[in-house]
Amino acid sequence: MKTYRSYLHIFLVTGLLGFGACKTSINTPAPSRGTADFTRYIAVGNSLTAGYADGGLYREGQLNSYPSIIAAQMQKVGGGTFTQPLFSTDQANGSGYLKLTALTNGVPTTEMQPATGKRGEATVPGFGTVTLYTKYKGDINNYGVPLIKLQQITFGQLGNLNGYFERMLPTDFPTNVNSTYLDFVTAKPYTFFTDWLGNNDALLYAITGGADPNLRLTDKAQFSQLYNLSITQLTKSGQKGAVATIPDVVAVPYFNTVTVGAILAGVQKVNPAAKALYVNALNSDGSHSARIATAADLIILSFPTSMMGQPVAAAGNLPYGLTPLTPIEDKYVLDQGEVAMTQDYVNAYNATIKSVASSKGLAIFDAYAFLNDVKAHGLVVDGVNLSSAFISGGIFSLDGIHLTPRGYAVVANEFIKAINKQYNASIPLANVSSYRGVKFP
Amino acid sequence: MPAIAFGQGFQVNLHGQKQIGMGHTGTGLLQDGASVLFNPGAVAMLPQNYVQAGMSPLLFKSDFNPSGSTDQYRTKNKIATPFTAYGVWGPKGARWKIGLGVYTPYGGLTDWGQDWAGKYSLESLNLKAIYFQPTLSYRVTDFLSLGAGFVYNHGTVDLTRAIPVTNASGQDGQAQLKGNGHGFGWNAGAFIKTNVGLTIGLDYRSQVNTTVKNGDAIFKVASSIQPNFPQPNTFTTTLPLPSTSSIGLGYKPSNKWTVAVDVNFTKWDVYKTLGFDYAKNTPTLQDTYSPRNYKNGWSYRAGAEYKATDKIFVRGGGGYVTTAVRDGYVTPEAPDANRYYLTAGLGYKVTKNLDLDVSFEYEHLDARTQTNIESQLSGTFKTNVYIPGLSLAYHW
Repeated sequence: MKTYRSYLHIFLVTGLLGFGACKTSINTPAPSRGTADFTRYIAVGNSLTAGYADGGLYREGQLNSYPSIIAAQMQKVGGGTFTQPLFSTDQANGSGYLKLTALTNGVPTTEMQPATGKRGEATVPGFGTVTLYTKYKGDINNYGVPLIKLQQITFGQLGNLNGYFERMLPTDFPTNVNSTYLDFVTAKPYTFFTDWLGNNDALLYAITGGADPNLRLTDKAQFSQLYNLSITQLTKSGQKGAVATIPDVVAVPYFNTVTVGAILAGVQKVNPAAKALYVNALNSDGSHSARIATAADLIILSFPTSMMGQPVAAAGNLPYGLTPLTPIEDKYVLDQGEVAMTQDYVNAYNATIKSVASSKGLAIFDAYAFLNDVKAHGLVVDGVNLSSAFISGGIFSLDGIHLTPRGYAVVANEFIKAINKQYNASIPLANVSSYRGVKFP
Repeated sequence: MPAIAFGQGFQVNLHGQKQIGMGHTGTGLLQDGASVLFNPGAVAMLPQNYVQAGMSPLLFKSDFNPSGSTDQYRTKNKIATPFTAYGVWGPKGARWKIGLGVYTPYGGLTDWGQDWAGKYSLESLNLKAIYFQPTLSYRVTDFLSLGAGFVYNHGTVDLTRAIPVTNASGQDGQAQLKGNGHGFGWNAGAFIKTNVGLTIGLDYRSQVNTTVKNGDAIFKVASSIQPNFPQPNTFTTTLPLPSTSSIGLGYKPSNKWTVAVDVNFTKWDVYKTLGFDYAKNTPTLQDTYSPRNYKNGWSYRAGAEYKATDKIFVRGGGGYVTTAVRDGYVTPEAPDANRYYLTAGLGYKVTKNLDLDVSFEYEHLDARTQTNIESQLSGTFKTNVYIPGLSLAYHW
């Protein structure tokens, strides 16, 4: 019986393998570019566009930038090659980036991986130190420049002040005195663009707690003037494109992870008598003074909580953060008033972005609405629960502002949906589940 | 998680080569020892005693196209091996017969691989339910016989899926749930011969709640996350394998022809949720309760047999099966949809006492575009199934 069974098995299995060649197939309509032309797609923007992640610009992040993901999908509807100013494999660490090295009772330890793409530093009088990176020579489709503000896109000296921009330019520091970002990105003909500029006009102010006098919120009228100017120039030969709005600063884990409540609870474990934290908060007249912190005051992710309660020598050894004389410093807190001000500016910027884009018939990805929705409700994609939580959420990288490859894939798909809708196209969506979240040790 | 199984998609109806060839009819026929399953009531009416075994290797070929994408993900070519073995015996001329059936009424073998869009729902599933059914049948009169059997089910499950936690080398974590369990049920039927040549069969196969206790719950994740998934760990789950009610008719319009129809009703609505109870829980690893909310399913079957010569029988049939899975609940474990199937078969009398039967079946599941309410996995599933089969039956 056993022999019979095994012969039977061999006979049937051999026959059946023939059917292995029969493919089950689902007919999908051929994807279409609609009324858009993706022959040469360029991406304009800041660090988010460059693929910046984990506190740095490095090769893996660049390879997973949302423009590169979009471009790969565009190639299915006739899109052209897409070249990024990548750090080489030998210099894959780029500017250096944070790596998660341990998770102890849920508390992360990160370690900066050394930069391998640096070529030097330069001091610019009246500005400070500029880090210079290995020059990139070659074609560029992704013009994402970390740290760039919309405010700076017509500034001829930017190529001497921003090392990420400098590395793209044909000429070296300090000879870049007449290279504006806007002229550089529009110099070579292109048929389609994405533009996600403007975040840094609010974000750089916010992430430094509103304390750095050199990083103010860009004036609303100036933002409007420059946004109009840039879109006019980007569309001057009738190019089509997509823009994105600026996320609400409070939608990112950088401001939502280290909370007033959590710090106070930590302090009270050591010092049960502690009743409240004090912060140095913005007054309506623009001055700052100490007051009791509330849940509406946002503490930045990099706040060294170990400082809490330490004696402050300059204030009679009173404990840090726990008295009106020793409040948590302004640079660590985006207090309620600063949050409100930042939100007011972001809303104004976004009103500009939407109205300018609408008037030019461009596609709009409303990143503000999208990320606020993710923060409020989470997002389930392909069986993965994503959220705005730091590390565990899967969308935000270790710096709490920029995205993981998975987060960038989600953003790429939102851009694609907006483009498809506006231009009656059907660019296929990317497979989000094939992109990773935060890497755990 | 193991949505498994037991979707209409995982009901396996390969219970005898003669019956497969005739479109899975048999409740109202007296073909051979497979009556132990189809209708224990008919066993006492069988003219002879039987020992038989058969196998129907099955190739389940599913394709998934995510919504808004041109990607196609296909299951790997893995061959499942449903089998049957029946024995029926009674003294010549006695009113009673005893029987034993070993068969595989539920199962599934699906391997989507580790790189597809739905990997966080399922990578692979290998599920088997083997029923053992001792049976007693009694001929009450010349036109009515009754029978019943006790069912013991031995079930095994081995399921893997990816966990969305990336390790230092960029790979996902993986969960594997592996275990076996058992359950009990019964099968009872009645067989009626009418004086106009029509035979009628009624059969009820009860629900079999199968409990997997202390199966291995193996979680491989980045080491810093491993404390959230304590190891070793076990899981317990209960799967209700639903009851099936059947009515079948058989008729011989001439000496050469036999025709049959069957209607089956499978009470899938008992499958409300799929729960996994882990022995060790953490805030990350909670017990899960996934809604399934299946609906009852019907299948309509018809078939015919033509006696070409004294030794050769040609069979054909087909049927239509309504899905048990509601919109929003389709999962890659059971990418179920309404389906039709076509069957063909050939019987050869090797000797007076030995039958060799071969069968072939093609099943087509309609393309079904769905967004799963739990995983949000969105796209179109389409499936074809190819099932050849062969059996030997010795009768005396």
